Amino acid sequence: MATYGGWTGKTLRVNLTTGKITAEDTFKKYKDYLGGTGLAYKVLWDEVPIGTRAHDEANKIIFGVGPLAGTGAPCNSRTAVTTIWPCGYPDIYVATGHFGGHWAAELKYAGWDSVIIEGKAPHPVWLCIEDDKVEIRDARRLWGNGIYRTTAEINAEMGPEAQVAAIGQAGENLVANSAIITGYSHSGGGSVMGSKNLKAIGVRGTGSVKIAADKKEWKKLIQYALTLAGSNNQHVVPAEPQPWAEYYDPGSRWTGGIGVFWGAANPPLETGACDPHDMQSLGLRCQKGIKDFGREFGEKHTVRMGGCHACPIRCHAQMDYPPLEEKYGYSRYAANTCLGWSAGSSVFMSFSGPDRLIKQSEAKLLGKHLNDDYGIWDNYGLMEKMFQYAYEKGILKRILPEAEYKSIPWDLYESGDPAFLLDFYRRIAYREGVLGKGLGDPADKTIEEWGFAEDFFKKTKWKYWKMGHPYHHSTEDSAQIGALINMQYNRDSQNHSHTNLQNSGLPIEVVKRICAKVFGSPDAIDAKGKWTPMNKYKAKAAKWASIRKELHDSLSLCNWMYPWVTSPLKERNYEGDTALEAKYFSLATGIKMTEEELDLVAERIFNLHRCLTILEMNTRDMRNKHDIAPDWVFEDGGEPFTPGSNRLTREDIELAKDLFYQECGWTREGLPTRATLERLGLGYAADRLEKAGLLG
Amino acid sequence: MREEQKTPAANIAEFFGVNRPTSRRGFLKLSAATAVAIYGANILAGSGAKAANGMYILENAKGVLVSDPTRCVGCRRCELACTEYNDGKASPTVSRIKVARNLNYGPQGVQFGFQRGEGKYGNFLVIQDMCKQCPHPVPCATACPNDAIEVKGPVNARVVNTEKCVGCKVCQRACPWDMMCFDEEIGKATKCTLCDGHPQCVEVCPTGSLRFVPWRDLTKENRTRQPGMLMFNDGCKGCH
Repeated sequence: MATYGGWTGKTLRVNLTTGKITAEDTFKKYKDYLGGTGLAYKVLWDEVPIGTRAHDEANKIIFGVGPLAGTGAPCNSRTAVTTIWPCGYPDIYVATGHFGGHWAAELKYAGWDSVIIEGKAPHPVWLCIEDDKVEIRDARRLWGNGIYRTTAEINAEMGPEAQVAAIGQAGENLVANSAIITGYSHSGGGSVMGSKNLKAIGVRGTGSVKIAADKKEWKKLIQYALTLAGSNNQHVVPAEPQPWAEYYDPGSRWTGGIGVFWGAANPPLETGACDPHDMQSLGLRCQKGIKDFGREFGEKHTVRMGGCHACPIRCHAQMDYPPLEEKYGYSRYAANTCLGWSAGSSVFMSFSGPDRLIKQSEAKLLGKHLNDDYGIWDNYGLMEKMFQYAYEKGILKRILPEAEYKSIPWDLYESGDPAFLLDFYRRIAYREGVLGKGLGDPADKTIEEWGFAEDFFKKTKWKYWKMGHPYHHSTEDSAQIGALINMQYNRDSQNHSHTNLQNSGLPIEVVKRICAKVFGSPDAIDAKGKWTPMNKYKAKAAKWASIRKELHDSLSLCNWMYPWVTSPLKERNYEGDTALEAKYFSLATGIKMTEEELDLVAERIFNLHRCLTILEMNTRDMRNKHDIAPDWVFEDGGEPFTPGSNRLTREDIELAKDLFYQECGWTREGLPTRATLERLGLGYAADRLEKAGLLG
Repeated sequence: MREEQKTPAANIAEFFGVNRPTSRRGFLKLSAATAVAIYGANILAGSGAKAANGMYILENAKGVLVSDPTRCVGCRRCELACTEYNDGKASPTVSRIKVARNLNYGPQGVQFGFQRGEGKYGNFLVIQDMCKQCPHPVPCATACPNDAIEVKGPVNARVVNTEKCVGCKVCQRACPWDMMCFDEEIGKATKCTLCDGHPQCVEVCPTGSLRFVPWRDLTKENRTRQPGMLMFNDGCKGCH
């Protein structure tokens, strides 16, 4: 058997029904799918019957990790958690959540490429992976505990270095919007673990991940790659003017700079100019506390920045805020990023009074603790929007039993008191009453049961996109490209390839010049807010963004950082390197692949996801049943294609689909053709689709 | 028996077998280690003559690694650089700079009230552990029954001579800071070599948390992680 670097060669399969634990040959079964989502789609395709429900024993949940996890390739250690996703309604389909942290790297050091969980344990268990020793252990004493305590208990048993991914009460209680969390990094899908009676997976690895290439060559590549890194989301210019910088952009997440501090560090630490040539300030350029809490509060309470294994760009703000302990009984220390913070504050309609910013920040901090301990996932913000809508429209008063309605501390809610969250999230985690069940259930189920009106789908502010999920970097971010990407998945799109490029912070002329090289025309991208009608280069960019997302999820690179189309380096004319993924892959594994060759593998993975979705939906009309945009895209905002308007026309989006399908080799219905699938090595998928009458 | 009359062998046996608090699992591991220890102890007991010849007096190092934990963000790129650039593989276990073990809960490990402790699950402080390049008597070098830990220029780092190392792991027990590493894949001990004066961990640290500075004695000012050789080193006359 050939041996490669990167992969460990073994995939772990655990059947919780029988207790059988087996090691599979990664190369033999999954090499053509890399790992991560690629491996997981293949497992679901081969092994899980179409029509399986998320909480059925027949569902499988795959913790997919790829060849680059655990190596020094910057920004790896992401785990793709793929399963039949619990948040759909009435039908449910395949989807993936992603957590970062140090878990993926630890799994590789333990000698495993991925973990496939199947069956259902007869009573609560947790999975203990200590190198090649894998055991299913009793978790009855852990059941009912939050994630914080569960993690600590498992660390007490396995040792402090172990990395633990666990569910909280929400996952145990089969709340669809529940999370799996490792070290404050989230994935959805918690209830699938809960349905299998699996409380946690603890991993401790003492082995290694081999680099196939000569160590000097590898070092050279990594050093080169790091010069091209931007800040979080590959924003490549600073937010404020800096001595070294030709450009700046206030929207940039490159928030570190002269006079910008980690104010709660002891002593406070100035991030400094963060010149991109200074490799010893890479980890200082993203001061995310400022981004998530505003300059004053964020700077004052940031202890440091944290994040994932091997990632020098730190996007987790680690905050110290003593009143959390004094007022609410939670730890004064809290860490998270983006939605992990804003979940708590966006439960409220607004905050008022002179201390409104403090209340808002406290709601973020307290909300983070409650969500991360109960293991609640807020559906990328849709949960809060649904609550706000139901409150504002008087729906809650109508549908909640009187006793339940009265039991809710509305006085706290209306005064913007963060203490409201203590009651609010408990109801969701324990599925208490109509409110708790409704907010934890699949969004479409609740929207139907609570009787939301049509106007919910007609305003951008309610965030609804499709299939019970919100938009995620859609038309407001990249017009048609964002729309196409948001259509592709069975949950919110979780794709950042396009937004990383759109929001690099560079002037549009510079970005257009770079796009001309990468996509064949400067028309592949518009200046933000000055959208132009659809063209084929945007379709190319949308396809490229989609397949790169799958590539990252399969290699274990962070799609919140990659791909690096642009860089902060003036001497390179701000060009990044879109071949970095292929370069890492070639040197780490020893399998030489060009950018184009690796993109073909990514396209294979992307199409396998498409085929799986087509089989699950059992429709030939993917164009109108699956690839849909909500009404607000066409109805909310100023005249389409006028400056400042994000509104698009229906004709334009239909053209966008046509051009995108052409690029993908799909029919006008959105079905892959046999020729396309065979070109991608998916002849077997074409056979199965044909048999079902679903081949394009 | 009075303390100074104990033989080094008795001291070592006591150290491994008696003085060290263990969990049940820890004890099982230790039982195996004790056998090795006794082997090592005999050699050490017989090495007095060698010591009298001055073979264990190692020249001081010229440089040492220091850290500012305030700046450490726990990305572990130092561990990766240590093993990828020196050994061609990523392996925190082999890494001669240690961050992972303190990352989650700090050097104290999981404790009641961990949320007020150190590390990612506490107050976020990440402590980096580095080799102190100890002055004479260098615990790892002194304990090594094969004299496999030697001084190597240009910066006089204490390094493992893999030709001589037989993989007995006595050095791992000897280091009070638990900084000796063992590479199971080659069956040899390994330790910080200061990369011949260009420590890779320092070069890759993305926050400037690590520095390579002129040597000074850090052994008196750093918390130890295990009793190590300090427990049974009964002064110069034990060896000289």
